[in-house]
Amino acid sequence: MSRLWRRHSNWLAPTLFILPGIVLFGVVIIFASLQTIWVSFHEWDGVGAMVWVGLDNYRQLIDDPQFFVSLKNNVIWLVMFMAAPPLGLALALMLNQPIAGMRIVKSLFFIPLVLASVTVGVVFTWVYDPSFGLLALIFTAFGATASALLSDENFVTVAVVIAALWPQIAFCLVLFLAGLNNLNEELIGAGRVDGARGFAMLWNVILPQLREVSFIALAVTVIGALRSFDMVAVMTSGGPFGSSTVLAYQMYEQSIFSYRFGYGAAIATVLFVIMAGFIVWYLHTLLKVEEGNA
Amino acid sequence: MASVELQNIEKHYAGYHALRDINLTIEDGEFAVMVGPSGCGKSTLLKTIAGLESISSGRLLIKNRDVTAEEPGDRGIAMVFQSYALYPHMTVAENMGFGLRMAKRPKAEIETAVTRAAAILRLEEQLDKRPRQLSGGQRQRVAIGRAITRSPDVFLFDEPLSNLDAALRTQMRVELSTLHARLGATMIYVTHDQVEAMTMASRIVVLNKGQIEQVGAPLVLYNNPVNRFVAGFLGAPRMNFVEGIVRTADGRGAVIECAGGMSVAFSDLASPVHAGDHVTVGIRPEKLRIDNIRSGTTFPAEVRLIEHLGRETIVYADAGSLSTSNSDSGTGAFTIQIGDIVPFRPGAPLVLGFDVHDAYLFSTDGRTVSAPKTVTGL
Repeated sequence: MSRLWRRHSNWLAPTLFILPGIVLFGVVIIFASLQTIWVSFHEWDGVGAMVWVGLDNYRQLIDDPQFFVSLKNNVIWLVMFMAAPPLGLALALMLNQPIAGMRIVKSLFFIPLVLASVTVGVVFTWVYDPSFGLLALIFTAFGATASALLSDENFVTVAVVIAALWPQIAFCLVLFLAGLNNLNEELIGAGRVDGARGFAMLWNVILPQLREVSFIALAVTVIGALRSFDMVAVMTSGGPFGSSTVLAYQMYEQSIFSYRFGYGAAIATVLFVIMAGFIVWYLHTLLKVEEGNA
Repeated sequence: MASVELQNIEKHYAGYHALRDINLTIEDGEFAVMVGPSGCGKSTLLKTIAGLESISSGRLLIKNRDVTAEEPGDRGIAMVFQSYALYPHMTVAENMGFGLRMAKRPKAEIETAVTRAAAILRLEEQLDKRPRQLSGGQRQRVAIGRAITRSPDVFLFDEPLSNLDAALRTQMRVELSTLHARLGATMIYVTHDQVEAMTMASRIVVLNKGQIEQVGAPLVLYNNPVNRFVAGFLGAPRMNFVEGIVRTADGRGAVIECAGGMSVAFSDLASPVHAGDHVTVGIRPEKLRIDNIRSGTTFPAEVRLIEHLGRETIVYADAGSLSTSNSDSGTGAFTIQIGDIVPFRPGAPLVLGFDVHDAYLFSTDGRTVSAPKTVTGL
């Protein structure tokens, strides 16, 4: 036994260590995904028998205006979320100054990360409240009347995204702060000797060193925008009249509230394809970046 | 005239006195090498000249202009870093032209400067490559090229050769000396390697604990170190130091008694010592002689170890209770450097000896008190 072990330990040990992870990943991710795709070809109320309907669910999707509202909202999320990495970087640069008391200021900026997103949603619901919210107070102070943002189908998604941006920016901030701590001092020195300062220093010397961090921040932000769900659920439940739903929320609503698991699964599959497309691009670029730094 | 003048420069880090009252003038066209052990402040001093570190008090003049408060980019300096600090995302040409680009020079001028520097450093083939595609020696040359393109008044080098292997280091040493001769620019070079200091410097600045110990031409420092620290720092293998007590002293003469009954009589001391003083006798390894000694101080010893270097031989020999302090081997053995092949085996007995005119005497506080030696070959 021990001789067998010694001879094969170079591959046996890693295999044993990675096995639990593989099993878990296989069951929770791979199997669940495949099953979802399978379900999407059926009509199913979640309890009774599944009826094979082929591509019917997808045909319905194409004719469903609600689906396109969700899709459009996801695009709005994606576009607005793109503000998180640059804003996080700007804040990180600001907070990276060696000033006394900066640690306390930094931790204040981390607060939204500590809060559950449900909490963030609730807090922002209050902020937007037209009778006692912070926004209403500000508007009143200027003699204007705040509109009920979360009841206005034109603004509701934007309002929800702004709430979601708060923790997202903080997350990017943390990433960039970590990146700024790892800057190469001599490289910055070389830049200073070469006369680079201000924006030229940032663009030519600092940012190239933050390339990997930026890449991670971007990826996390894109994924965050695509899988947005909790803020919508807490703040609007997709309302008013479904105008703030996103794909993930519509999937949930269809499956859980309308007992249309097949239809929900079809939405999930569409979302999966979109995500997979992004992830393929991401991994491809990541490999190129890593090759570039080798 | 691109001279560099340091006036009463002090540097305090949080609770740490890194530079103490540095006064130094480096003349135009000089190759000044700052040398000293780790933590002596030599890199800090270079960074203050570059402007990468602020100074706590004092004044810094480059080309007779007070640059104490100026940004590094405005000081007319260029710096070569220990890690080379090349911009990894830029090509070699972009790296070398970056300083001029920041100075908003026209493209044609940048290109000319880069081409010229590349030609000097034989980098023409590498201009479109990225730093990671280059070998250590090539990266080093790009870093130097980046300095050259800016045509600075003063070049600053921060241990630029320490990341290279020994063969390449020797080659780059020659190249740097050649470059200095060719450009005629003022260069300030920091190293902990006393061989680099001895071979490249027109003047060596020896630093220790944030202070300048001695400044002078390499051979002056080698032959006439002002104190025991400089004597021990310059020269490889290191000088042999033997502790002793002044037995008798009269005016310019003194008899030193060391352990094992060896006594050394100095006759023309530069400054007096007193009977009972604890002093140190120093003798360079190449001044120790083996056997057939007709004059001077002699003592018996036994070979501990022999290092054959081909052209020369290093012998480590124990002399009983007469032991050295701070010697290379760290064992108390004497180090003897012989420009010949000697047939000794470990354990062989031998007689060591030296001429008192070749020996140094250091006072209790480490100052050199023996008479200055005549420096030949200058």
